[in-house]
Amino acid sequence: MSEQPTRRDVLGHAVRGTVLIGLGGLAAYLGRRAGPETVWQIDCDRCVNSRAGAVGVDVCERCATECVLPLSAVRAVNDYAKCGRCYICPAYFDIKSAVNAQGLPSQKLCPRDAIDRKPIGWVDPDDPANNYYEYVIDERRCNGCGRCVLACKEPAGLGSIRLVVRYDLCLDCNRCSVAQACPDDAYLRKPLTSGEATA
Amino acid sequence: MTAHLDHLSAARARRRPVSRRPALVAIIALSVLLASPGKLAAQQYPYERPVNAAPTVEDIGADYQLPTVQAHPPRAAWREALDVGLLVLALGLAAWLALWRRSRIGLVLLAMGCVVYFGLYRRGCVCPIGAIQNVTVALTDPLHVIPYFVLAVFFLPLVAAVLFGRVFCAGVCPLGALQELVLVRPISVPRRLDLALGTIKWVYLGLAIGLAARAATQREFIICRFDPFVGFFRLAGPAHMLLIGGGLLVLGLFIGRPYCRYLCPYGPLLSLLSRLAWRSVSITPDKELDCGLCAQACPYGAIQRRPAAGASGGRYQAIRSTCLACARCFKYCPRQRAREKPAARQGRAGPAAPYGTGGRA
Amino acid sequence: MPYQRVRLISGRGPAASQFADALRGLAVDAADRIYAVGDSAVKVFSPEGELVGLWQTERAGWAIAVAKDRTVFVGQTDQAQLFDPAGHLTQTWKDPQRLGLPTAVGLCGEHVLVADAKDRCIRCYDLDGRFRHSIGGAGRMRGFLIPNGHLDLTVDADGVLHVPNPGKHRVERYDLSGRLLGQFGRFDGTDPAGFSGCCNPTNIALLPSGQVVVTEKAPPRIKVYEADGRLLELFGQDDFDPRCKNMDVAADSRGRVYVVDTIRLHICVFAPAEAQDATSRPATREGQPR
Repeated sequence: MSEQPTRRDVLGHAVRGTVLIGLGGLAAYLGRRAGPETVWQIDCDRCVNSRAGAVGVDVCERCATECVLPLSAVRAVNDYAKCGRCYICPAYFDIKSAVNAQGLPSQKLCPRDAIDRKPIGWVDPDDPANNYYEYVIDERRCNGCGRCVLACKEPAGLGSIRLVVRYDLCLDCNRCSVAQACPDDAYLRKPLTSGEATA
Repeated sequence: MTAHLDHLSAARARRRPVSRRPALVAIIALSVLLASPGKLAAQQYPYERPVNAAPTVEDIGADYQLPTVQAHPPRAAWREALDVGLLVLALGLAAWLALWRRSRIGLVLLAMGCVVYFGLYRRGCVCPIGAIQNVTVALTDPLHVIPYFVLAVFFLPLVAAVLFGRVFCAGVCPLGALQELVLVRPISVPRRLDLALGTIKWVYLGLAIGLAARAATQREFIICRFDPFVGFFRLAGPAHMLLIGGGLLVLGLFIGRPYCRYLCPYGPLLSLLSRLAWRSVSITPDKELDCGLCAQACPYGAIQRRPAAGASGGRYQAIRSTCLACARCFKYCPRQRAREKPAARQGRAGPAAPYGTGGRA
Repeated sequence: MPYQRVRLISGRGPAASQFADALRGLAVDAADRIYAVGDSAVKVFSPEGELVGLWQTERAGWAIAVAKDRTVFVGQTDQAQLFDPAGHLTQTWKDPQRLGLPTAVGLCGEHVLVADAKDRCIRCYDLDGRFRHSIGGAGRMRGFLIPNGHLDLTVDADGVLHVPNPGKHRVERYDLSGRLLGQFGRFDGTDPAGFSGCCNPTNIALLPSGQVVVTEKAPPRIKVYEADGRLLELFGQDDFDPRCKNMDVAADSRGRVYVVDTIRLHICVFAPAEAQDATSRPATREGQPR
């Protein structure tokens, strides 16, 4: 057997090389296109749980039930700078429930008990109603059902709680089942921008 | 026989310059990937409410610090680089195991590993099959930006196909690996039926590209929607897709890889490019006897008699566009067993062949 | 329900009698004329709802009160302005430290009480604009708790301030020096006599009979309580846009109740079904019941 490459071999190499360069070139062309990547985001001005106009509606839980993950990639987050720190928070307590002996509602609103409440700042030991309370949503328990978001919405609350997408968990599906199910077209693909501090 | 061995060893000893191309491509791809700008998380929509009623930090007093609002950035870039690196490793390993080492057990182990990592851990997403749609969108929508990671996942198996044939299918693709692992009793499909069913994947590819090429509001991603095995990887999914996936797996107990051969839209791309493969699965040639055990062993009908110089009536070859590099043929090949003589002499028996092992291999 | 809506005054629009952006404050004088402040103007309506006066304020108006001599006090951002009955500006009190957001004005003799929502306390001035003291700002309570961002007050002829404390779900009574005299109300989401939500009641007025009218938000409604805290009436659940918040309220000499719809920018007038007797509080006294 000759060690010299035959014409057929050379042709094969040439074709392979061309194809590889073609693939690489296509990849480079597509990859070099400038612009931010897009991710799934929730538009709070359309989401029925958050938008200011929709009052007296039932909670829309689709962000929690439609995600393909066992625990949805959507969760509620409290914007602390805008939170009223109320003694009786309508997102923490179920204000329609009966009042207990301390004068607080007896039931909590969150079905997964994902909100933690603690007094902050200067604390009055005698009168608990005198204090400010911080409401922190534990994302390990929250599943994005949106009840607290709806309860905090204006005018009942200050609208500081909103639903966000957990990008570390979101699979970034081409065809997001939550987006398909959203009745308000509030779940959209939008560019990721640099912004507030990341955790 | 020694003449053949000489021929083989001579062929192997041919000093071809080791192509640095695959390594170069990998390095370029990785560096381009790592050079991509880091991702920061933010909500694009400014959710502003005209609130001036919230208590300020001074109101709350007593050294209260405003906590930062929880925000989670997307998966770190190094994790994606790791996935790409593991993909390259798996492709290389599959090529080595199928083409040089010719080890069936090695490929089975690789298949298991890939099902666990790419399938169960990464939940089968991002996969090159679905990436067809992303690349289509990137080509047709000038505003769409496709991440480097998706490009790497799409192009690397194609590059591997140009170099080594369909090694992606060998054990790296989690969907294929899953079917590979359930195939226990292969029954061969009649050629006509096989060819007829094989056209379905071309139609599927055309549909997927056509639907993904539409405008943004009308785009449909049917590959993602109708992926039969993603429900198993996610351990959740719509009932009808889980049933279809289960059905395909049950069918796959007997018919080798029904999804891969008849439905996978990435298959046409691989089959086209693997025809150019630099190195591919080769059937051990022999001048005197073509026993044809490999052709019987191949569950995919990829070994056929083709005309070749120096052999009358042709000899068996693995058809590059169809061969999924599963290495079953080597398990049954008597010549292959003979080459592993030292182990065979120590008593490790290969599977029983109708005409007996050893002897004139 | 003995109270029924009888009229709507003003509305949202570009006309002179309408408001364009906001309608925030309400007052009624002895002759039952209605003074409404919003946008940057004060609009005066006759008891039948006709526009009889319009004058501009320097800044966005938040609160209004009318004295017995028909001097009009308008609380605006960082200041308060006084107008004579013809609508001419007579005084401007600039006090950004103490009048950051005056959301209510009350008058009692020589005292002018302004509720500042920014610092969450009530400022006491004399008629020349000299600051005297604050009520509710010092001490352990650190001001009223108003997550709704609005502090309302009303003062009766005896110098008793009635102030809703929304964060604590009660109405408190103070004397002019700031001493707490009493309170009523509690949180209750199921009992209509209690105050629901995070911060209710939001606004307050006094009827000529001494009964207390309060407005709530989420859902918006109006309640009348006896001075000792017994719920007498509950009405207005269907009359307001559900997004309304901090609806200012006033009462006239006949016991009619005027409430601002902050979204639709009109004034709802409610009248008791039977004629309201002017009982122990004739309308000609100083310190108009708002």
